[in-house]
Amino acid sequence: MQFVKLGLLAGLAVGALVAAAPAYAQVTLKVWSIDGNDRPGIADTFSKEFDDANDDIVVEYRYIPFDELVNETLRAFATGNAPDIVSFDNPDFALFSSRGAMLDITDRVANSDIVSKAEYFQGPLNSVTWDGKLFGLPKYTDTIGIFYNKDMFAAAGLTEPPTTWAQVVDYAEKLTDPANNVYGATFSARAGEEGTFQFLPIIQMSGGDANKVNTEGAAEVLDLWKQMIDNGWASRDVLSLGQWDSTGTFNAGNAAMAISGPWEIDRMVEDAKFDWGVALLPTITEGGERSSALGGFNWGIMSTTQHPDEAFRLLEYYVSQEDRLFPEFGNLPARGDIALPVTGVEKKDAALKVFQEQLQYARPRGPHPEWQKISKAIYDAMQQALTGQMSSMDALNQAQATIDTIFN
Amino acid sequence: MSRFFNALRDGVGFDVLLVGAALLFLLALAGAPLLYNVLMSFQQVDMFTLGVLFRPFVGFDNYVAVVRQPEFWLVTRNTLIFVFGSMTGQFVLGFALALFFAQKFPGAATIRGLFLVSWVMPGLVVGAIWSWILAGDFGVLNVILKSLGIIQANVFWKSDPNFSIWAVIIANIWLGLAFNMLLLSVGLAAIPRDLYEAAELDGANAFQRFWTITLPMMRSTIGAVLSLGLIGTLQQFDLFPALTEGGPANTSNVAGYWSWQLSFQLYDFAKGATVSVMMFVLVLFASIVYVRSTRHEVRG
Amino acid sequence: MTRPYTPWLLLLVALALAAVYLFPLYWMYVTSLKGSSEIFANPPTFWPVAPDPGVYPAVWARRNMPVFLSNSVIIAAGVTAITVILGTGCAYVLARYRNVWIDIGLFCVLMLQVLPASVMVTPLFVGFNQVGLLSYPRTAVVLAAAAKAMPFFVVLVRATFMSVPRELEEAALVDGNSRVGAFFTIVLPLARNGILVCAILTFMSSFGEYIYSKSIIQDPNLQPASVGLSGFLGPNSTDWNSIMAYAAIYVTPILAAFVILQRRIVAGLTSGALK
Repeated sequence: MQFVKLGLLAGLAVGALVAAAPAYAQVTLKVWSIDGNDRPGIADTFSKEFDDANDDIVVEYRYIPFDELVNETLRAFATGNAPDIVSFDNPDFALFSSRGAMLDITDRVANSDIVSKAEYFQGPLNSVTWDGKLFGLPKYTDTIGIFYNKDMFAAAGLTEPPTTWAQVVDYAEKLTDPANNVYGATFSARAGEEGTFQFLPIIQMSGGDANKVNTEGAAEVLDLWKQMIDNGWASRDVLSLGQWDSTGTFNAGNAAMAISGPWEIDRMVEDAKFDWGVALLPTITEGGERSSALGGFNWGIMSTTQHPDEAFRLLEYYVSQEDRLFPEFGNLPARGDIALPVTGVEKKDAALKVFQEQLQYARPRGPHPEWQKISKAIYDAMQQALTGQMSSMDALNQAQATIDTIFN
Repeated sequence: MSRFFNALRDGVGFDVLLVGAALLFLLALAGAPLLYNVLMSFQQVDMFTLGVLFRPFVGFDNYVAVVRQPEFWLVTRNTLIFVFGSMTGQFVLGFALALFFAQKFPGAATIRGLFLVSWVMPGLVVGAIWSWILAGDFGVLNVILKSLGIIQANVFWKSDPNFSIWAVIIANIWLGLAFNMLLLSVGLAAIPRDLYEAAELDGANAFQRFWTITLPMMRSTIGAVLSLGLIGTLQQFDLFPALTEGGPANTSNVAGYWSWQLSFQLYDFAKGATVSVMMFVLVLFASIVYVRSTRHEVRG
Repeated sequence: MTRPYTPWLLLLVALALAAVYLFPLYWMYVTSLKGSSEIFANPPTFWPVAPDPGVYPAVWARRNMPVFLSNSVIIAAGVTAITVILGTGCAYVLARYRNVWIDIGLFCVLMLQVLPASVMVTPLFVGFNQVGLLSYPRTAVVLAAAAKAMPFFVVLVRATFMSVPRELEEAALVDGNSRVGAFFTIVLPLARNGILVCAILTFMSSFGEYIYSKSIIQDPNLQPASVGLSGFLGPNSTDWNSIMAYAAIYVTPILAAFVILQRRIVAGLTSGALK
């Protein structure tokens, strides 16, 4: 009897809530990200769930192509149409946070029961920090390593993946098989952020960084890359292929090694009809300094939002769901307190281990408000060297001159 | 008041109204943005001031900075190659086809119609198709050229600094061919037949007839085609992101794309506007050519 | 003599030229029908080994193409309407006189074409925002794209008006017609074909409008097919058969309309139909 009564009461209460819901002043939150174009992504899925679960908040989600995200947001911000929450690629974040376009959430995070700043990896956390304040939260992270085709390695009498760049070239020569359209290696030296993403780690391995690019070691590796292209051990199209396309040729068996990241794993498990593995990004000398790219996106609340409290609630919801990132979307959480489940797919689990180790060496790009210009100087130099328009050192020196004007 | 309406119906007023409506529309939607860009090229611009007109004035600083960019001269050279290459290709092929289809043979009109399809093809689609045809390792063009014995090894159209600008030019010639051929066909059709017959009686050969009748009679059409072609070529944008993105190492970057890159990839709006204002000079030249060419028109 | 054979020889040459010219289109259709492994076959097959038309309904449904295509039609129709209404009168006046003011008018029309659409987007966006047009994004795109299409339309239609004998208009004026009357009853009907053809061409080229739509229209339900296509063409595109299928669905209707209408279009522009 008691139970029935309770049930009735609960039912009434729920009914009253449902009936009353429209009476609440509804808050609309606009969320922009690149997720959810042709398959469900993090931002669209979680936003929809939050929207369904909260009657007082309407989440309007908008997909924007990667190349247009920053532009759209800049323009919208300048004209007062900015979204409440936006998700940027990590090197783009400083452009906004440095100019006060993002909401300072330092205190909110400190008071939050859900978000714990201490759990985040340092690199991703740096990219959302400006001037000691926290302007956003890392969404997920990734990095790059070297994939290799174990079948082809065995056929060429190789057993171990390369550990230095000189070895990469050496192996690439052995693995190249023009008769079967097989290149020894593939990577992305595209004129864009992806090119910088793959080349900056080399500069960092040689003791440089975004503010010091003309190092001997970086020029050396550029010469090695050029050697691979000139000799036909890597396709000349690495200069125009993005990472996804470039790794596509690896999956199709047209390249024996590929430099790319964990986002490739799911597709590779499906497409690659051979045995493959991943190794840490090679170094310049045996046992030399390691580095790798730090990729991944961030969340941020824009400073123009009318509903900071609700927006932060939504942010907290995203964070609360982060244990689903890897199993459902194949992305690596940017924090250390989430154990990644074993999937049972042997190659995937092995690859994941390597990338988790690699993440320890991953170094951020920036943060710098003019990162895009630094990046262009770097990828332009890389392309000038690889196409033989300038010697590697001259190209890097020219990039250094451009970069000096940005840093000073 | 009634004088106004009379003027409207019977005099200059009607003309002014017709031209005025169109010009006002153009001034608002094309002139104002133009002015905004010119203004921006003399100002310091950032994301916060995109929406306002009055920003810190910096004189010619942006112009100096643009010229000092290491890629400035390369882009200038590429722009000239792109413009001359595309226009020559489009014009010569377009003219040759127009002359060819002016001959009388079965199906001439129908087949000529087929040559106009590139007109209605969206630039983005054309870029996607050519990107696929010109691909280095899997592109069909390399296969065809190799089987014809013209090349021995694959040409990396999109990634080889010697070819990248030509990859875009090839696609652009294909895209602009229809327009050139159509306008030139119109011009050819307007030349009275009896001129040729008279010349033939005088014993002029085909080449002489072309030189002494066709070309002079076509002067205004050629002027229009070339100046519209120049504007169209300078405005070409869709092909670049689809094919080379200006690379490798800016070897296929041209002013129009560079200006977009500066504004929307490097977020340096002032420099982007500066480059676009520099392009203005080139088009100014084209417009003068066009307007001068109309001087010789005769009303039929 | 070989004379009777000449036309047939010319026909052969014409067909060969057309085959070369139309190859990119052919390649689009063939690629769309190939399976994903056949696409990267080396050497490529010139006819799909196992044609798979299933990609068409799949792309149609998955990419929400009916919505995209209908938006393209709406935008193209709007652009054409504005261009024809405003451009025809302008072209008529510019063809009617021959003096320095006309030179200046023509000059302005061309000069306003100068900046690539990619550079005009930002100021237009700012302007539309000021007057509240961003809430009606398709209308905003129509206005912006019409300004882009207008100069070209004016130049072509002006040529049409040039070929309308001036004596006819003057005779009508002598008969007691007003200028307005003469324009609508004499000159316009005579130039009708040329205007119609230019309108069709304007429609067809604005069917591919991309840059303005991509920046101004945020709601996917209002975007045209070109923006939908660009969503495919991102940095991570290997799905060439779907891309080509999308492109084929996108351009086939205009191509078909064009092939059906092409005789009239070409005739309208080239032959005495203008007179």
